[in-house]
Amino acid sequence: MPQNQTYRPELSGNPQSSTSRSYPNGNPELQYNRPGVRNTDSAVPLHPAAPVIHDYASDGPAPGNIAFRWAYGSNVAAKNTDPRVQVMQYNEDSFILRQNMCVHWEAPFTYLLFGNKGALLIDNGASANPAHYPLRETVDAIVARWAKARGRTRVPLTLVMTSGEDHAQTKGLAQFAGRPDTTIAPTPLAAMQEFHGLLGKWPTGTSSIDLGDRVIQVIPTPGTHKDGLSFYDPYCDFLFTGDLLFPGKINIGNDRDFVASLERLKAFADANPVKYVMGGHIDMMFVPGQAYPRFRNYRPYERVLEMEPSLIAEALQYAREVQGRDLMLIRPDFILLNGVSPDQRTNVWPADVPQIRPPHPF
Amino acid sequence: MDRRMFLACNAVAAIPLSGAGVAYAQSRAGNGPPIDFTSNLPAAGSFPDRWIFGSESCMDNTDPPWQVHWYNDHTAILRQNKAYSYEAPFAPLYFGNDRILLLDEGFVQLRNDCDLRGIVDATIDEWCERNDKNPERMELLVAFSHLHADHYAAVNQFAERPNTRYMGLTHEEMVGFWGMTNFPEERVSLDLGGREILIWGSPGHVVSEFAYYDSYTQILYTGDMFYRGRCYISFWEPWFDSMQRLIDFVDTHPVTHVMGCHVEISKDDEDYPYGLTYQPNEAPVQMTVQQLRDTFEFAKTVTEPGIYFTGTVFLCNQTRSMTTIDKYPYRYS
Repeated sequence: MPQNQTYRPELSGNPQSSTSRSYPNGNPELQYNRPGVRNTDSAVPLHPAAPVIHDYASDGPAPGNIAFRWAYGSNVAAKNTDPRVQVMQYNEDSFILRQNMCVHWEAPFTYLLFGNKGALLIDNGASANPAHYPLRETVDAIVARWAKARGRTRVPLTLVMTSGEDHAQTKGLAQFAGRPDTTIAPTPLAAMQEFHGLLGKWPTGTSSIDLGDRVIQVIPTPGTHKDGLSFYDPYCDFLFTGDLLFPGKINIGNDRDFVASLERLKAFADANPVKYVMGGHIDMMFVPGQAYPRFRNYRPYERVLEMEPSLIAEALQYAREVQGRDLMLIRPDFILLNGVSPDQRTNVWPADVPQIRPPHPF
Repeated sequence: MDRRMFLACNAVAAIPLSGAGVAYAQSRAGNGPPIDFTSNLPAAGSFPDRWIFGSESCMDNTDPPWQVHWYNDHTAILRQNKAYSYEAPFAPLYFGNDRILLLDEGFVQLRNDCDLRGIVDATIDEWCERNDKNPERMELLVAFSHLHADHYAAVNQFAERPNTRYMGLTHEEMVGFWGMTNFPEERVSLDLGGREILIWGSPGHVVSEFAYYDSYTQILYTGDMFYRGRCYISFWEPWFDSMQRLIDFVDTHPVTHVMGCHVEISKDDEDYPYGLTYQPNEAPVQMTVQQLRDTFEFAKTVTEPGIYFTGTVFLCNQTRSMTTIDKYPYRYS
């Protein structure tokens, strides 16, 4: 449902409005039920007697926003006081979770999506110890709150991973062992393929996970990991790509697979609406082409997480360029590393990328 | 103090220049019973079985910001916490009858982030109490091994400390602080009050670097040009010459331990990648003279830039900031 999301302070009674007129007590000339009203919590009954069924069919991407910046660690990691799991509610049925980078430097993102019949957790963080990283506790709390608002007694949860071998995205699995009403995708390659129904059609086929009127597409995308998967959410129009494509230093595991996966991803993005590509990490700074080194737990100048879908084509173009060569290649929004050290640096700065020196933090 | 005065007043030229200097020297008299730093050498001492080594989750680290280890009664060795700075440098604190020498200040600048000043003050107070000294009469020399921020970042924490001299952050000030006129060959002697420290130039990792030899414990402190980890050699020829100087020194002087500023290698010779904050199996910081000699023998065979493992250290000959020996672990064919 299209809606005008533009915030106009002068109409909302903000006395700091740039216009001379302000409405500190509200503007009585405005209609009471403005377009945005329909998409707030007020649509959900306060004490639902029966399960609330949400209509996930929407014109264009579902509304939502990433309204805050991500926690960025601290100069002295031992003194960090940020939440261990940062939860960003994108909309009522989509949550973005991030691990505190002072718990683990990879600071991976975890996505929690709800449908009418269940919930899906994509990836699960880099720490198994719930005292360090209480992912299970956080997910349980979000699920319980969501279930209460929607009048559900049970919300089946499915755990999938963009890669079963990636230590930065699978360590949290241990916390979910034995959780009732929970299905966990197996991590070995063949078992994972069987779980997703991709046995025999890897890597060209696709499959789907039905969350209840919200059908998540599963796309095999090996390349950075041999068991790489991407997920497509047709409600938010997000493509979750894990380590395959994210704003950071992309270590290529196999360049042939990497190019082929990006080709398939591009074909998919051409055929389906994609609002953002959502990766598993952020390494880049907010200046083009520069990234934080590994193990850094203070990154005050991070790039934003979301990537425009046009970056798939750019990644594909430059993936073809590095194919068959041991090379580090810098682009404004990502860096490709093929066959070199994860710490590799280069003196070759591409001519079309502006070289801006970021401010130096304390 | 202008530059000329600063150089004239350096620690080695301990000649009182004025009446104030004489009064100052007299004020030292009666500062506790003198400690004998010249008999029964080398003074016995021990390194800990393991240092603080960071933690799996940095924000759950409960170690102190600096570990203070008493090597013996008159020698403390400090190590910075990996959860405060991944560089986690080591910093010896040598006590003499008149002066205290602090070598290296770690990689956190601000006192409210990491209070090195408070820790050093407390350590000095502890030593003074034990040895019946007056901490206000002990002069503190704040120096560093070489001109890199992970070794001098906290130097400003000592700026207003009374009875303290600290090294300046230029090559000229560093060399001038030790009163050298012929860097790096010249070997100067610093008297901490009965305890002699020998200092000479050791360029190669950076231009501005010193080697420090404590005649009491006979520990040879080699900074970042030779330590258990990746010796980033920016300039091969000067580094090789510095190694030759170290070998010449150990040929003529007794040395108990060779000690560097960092540890970046495990007990099983595994390379801990740059920036790692958790090193549960790290190798000891101290090395033997034989390891130094072996490394020098190995270095004689090195003719090209690259990364070489000598059995003790990684020689990163002019590869700094360009590559490491790490591989992407998920590569497949």
